[in-house]
Amino acid sequence: MSAKLSRREFIKVSAVGGGLLLGFHLPATQKIRAQTAETTFIPNAYLKITSDNTITVMVHRSEMGQGVQTAIPMILADELEADWSQVRFEQAPADSAYGDQVTGGSVSISSSYGMLRMAAAAARTMLIAAAAQIWNVDPAECRAENNLVVHEEKQLSYGELAATAATLPVPRRQELQLKDPSAFRLIGTSIPNVLTPQYVDGTAQFASDVRLPGMLYAAVARCPVFGGSVLNYDDSQAKAFEGVRHVVEIENGIAVVADNSWAALAARDLLDITWDEGDFASQNDETLLQTFAAEIPSAEVSPTIEATYFTPYLAHATMEPMNCTADVRPDGCDVWAPTQNRQQAKSVATSLTRLSRDVVNIHVPPIGCGLGRRLKVDYVEEAVQISKLVGVPIKLLWSREDDIQNGAYRPATYHVLRAAIDEQGMPSHFEHHIVGQPVAAASDLAYGASDHPYRLGDSVVRAHPVTLPIPTAYFRSVSNPTSAFAREIFLDEMAELAGQDPYEYRMALLRSERFKVVLETAAREAGWGNPLPEGHAHGIAFHTTWGIPVAQVAEVSIFRDKPRIHRIVCAIDCGLVINPDMVVAQVESGIAVGLSSLFNAITFEDGRVQEGNLRNYPLLEMEDMPIVDVHIIPSTEMPEGVGEMGIPPVVPAVINALYKLTGQRIRQLPIREDDFSG
Amino acid sequence: MESITLHVNGQPYTVEVHPDMPLLWVLRDLLGLTGTKYGCGIGQCGACTVHQDGEAIQSCTTPVSEIHDSEITTIEGLGGDNPLQSAWIAESVPQCGYCQPGQIMTAAALLKHNPNPDDEAIDEAMAYNLCRCGTYQRIRRAIHLAAGQSEGSAT
Repeated sequence: MSAKLSRREFIKVSAVGGGLLLGFHLPATQKIRAQTAETTFIPNAYLKITSDNTITVMVHRSEMGQGVQTAIPMILADELEADWSQVRFEQAPADSAYGDQVTGGSVSISSSYGMLRMAAAAARTMLIAAAAQIWNVDPAECRAENNLVVHEEKQLSYGELAATAATLPVPRRQELQLKDPSAFRLIGTSIPNVLTPQYVDGTAQFASDVRLPGMLYAAVARCPVFGGSVLNYDDSQAKAFEGVRHVVEIENGIAVVADNSWAALAARDLLDITWDEGDFASQNDETLLQTFAAEIPSAEVSPTIEATYFTPYLAHATMEPMNCTADVRPDGCDVWAPTQNRQQAKSVATSLTRLSRDVVNIHVPPIGCGLGRRLKVDYVEEAVQISKLVGVPIKLLWSREDDIQNGAYRPATYHVLRAAIDEQGMPSHFEHHIVGQPVAAASDLAYGASDHPYRLGDSVVRAHPVTLPIPTAYFRSVSNPTSAFAREIFLDEMAELAGQDPYEYRMALLRSERFKVVLETAAREAGWGNPLPEGHAHGIAFHTTWGIPVAQVAEVSIFRDKPRIHRIVCAIDCGLVINPDMVVAQVESGIAVGLSSLFNAITFEDGRVQEGNLRNYPLLEMEDMPIVDVHIIPSTEMPEGVGEMGIPPVVPAVINALYKLTGQRIRQLPIREDDFSG
Repeated sequence: MESITLHVNGQPYTVEVHPDMPLLWVLRDLLGLTGTKYGCGIGQCGACTVHQDGEAIQSCTTPVSEIHDSEITTIEGLGGDNPLQSAWIAESVPQCGYCQPGQIMTAAALLKHNPNPDDEAIDEAMAYNLCRCGTYQRIRRAIHLAAGQSEGSAT
């Protein structure tokens, strides 16, 4: 039995939630319904209820460790009054019916929350109406609980009601009644990640684990200098390597296709390629720095204090390197991609294959860490081109070296901050200039700077974009960490000049009570101002990422000429919390990524990336990971994002603590031994 | 090409391979045991960790020709209800999950030698298993939890 959902009714429902419900009427749903018409109730794009009492949630955002494949079903199941043990999960196809499916900007929950609850409430209302119709009673006398509709002594399961519910009209917006938050059963609880059992027994199938009949394996040689291209190549040695089947030229370089990954990677290194390296081959770190520094304008007001800060290019270095499996056939194309941007993946695959959009399928398995790198789909473009050229399914693997040397990077940022301070030590004028390569627009260099949380007198924040051929990508929190790095160290410098405590100084400058509660909580929980063990110091920092306030206090010492970060106390106000342990986990991973950036840099010589693998691009190890103590401010406001918010304060908090230990102000990343060994 | 016989998770396999091919790719591409992951290819990240006769090795830098008659155990061979796997679930360790099979294999080898490791011993044993999500504190807790369970079951 199929749901009787006229287009008009879908559009009515789509009006619910301030326009967020666009796309209830989606082609993919129609297809599914046609296949399973007799048994399935599909009230909208997010839910399928089958006669076996199973509820399947279509998750429209990518799962990359942030827990969205658990949190989205939790929201739906709570509002639907579903039995959590009966809830199953599928990754949704790339379809504009879901609106924007980009998984980034920490918005998967905040932008979907209202829409998901409306979708579930519509389904619940229809199931209750179905039961009321069968029993010939008033729906208002029926209630939904635990996959059942109940009326006095009678009850029917959602599975038993699916067929009837599918014949009913979708309720109007004004007929939908959302649960009172006090009745939430799942929202606000730490339900474990639904994928954890698969992660720990090795059965989780990442995109790099996909195996197709007849599949070959591919590796690509790309120009070591950005903006370069192939002049000519000799593939005789590569082709002679055991297991190599094809060598083909694609837009981005030369691809070797072989019977296994190792043969493809090993033979790729045997290619003899002459590159046209292009203009960037003359660039190195010094020339880049000169380019940045030349952009800084002179001061608008004579400053009392001025300082220059620098953060380098960073590689995302996700644990699962870039990869993609593509099967391009004359009549269709299937792509398995670890992508945060499935709609873009679909667009490029459609364009490259010249197939109709509806025969191009993008499958998004669990992703081995995203960090924003996978908002780009360069690896999808490569894999689709290769499969199309060789006519069989191929799995493209980027080696770790490819990932670090041919990647897309968090842009380096060069900052000049200036402030004029009055006799009370308070700022009357503040300037923050940021120079760097934008990812998409100049404004993305100044996130967290132009919207800083303080009263700093007349505040001038300017981004100065430069154009370079280095590929850039958003990196978890975009420019919030670099903005926070410069400003939060500078605030400590201002506080010192003003003769004030860095915490008290920030409390005096913060714009809102909500922000002050967060900062005060972190300081109190960390014991700011209390004595610490000998050789330990506290540093503090505050930042708002996309408006979400986070404060952190770092407890740091120096051990064997290295900073040792013992504990980070973090306070965050992220609105209503869907899953508290996942908020904690997101803060923990944000702190880990932030702390790695103390030590990481991508550097250039002769236009080439100097770092090659994890030996010279080291990631945080277990002994470097501090205890993280997260305090979530209780809130009943709308849920906000948490994915990116843990990162920005951590580096300046650590560096502000190091200053107390060494008296040396670090203004440049990565930190070097002589920054704190003296 | 050479014909090489391997014993993996109690099963014999004969493969025709280049003797230099690292065990990692034999497991993943030839045998279809994809629980063992590629992360760096130079033995720095630990995502490829398996056991050779009970010892943790990095399969990405171990040529298949060096395996000889030893018994290889991968995450698929750990059983699924190993105390470490249960502890990983109890502590909600994984985020993206990609490195976790390698983490668990290293931890299993550690507990074999040191049934009740302290934090320092855990840090030392786990130093070559990287996690970009920073789940390290949870991994530590899970190892302690599993060690406690193993002790309990042994007495």
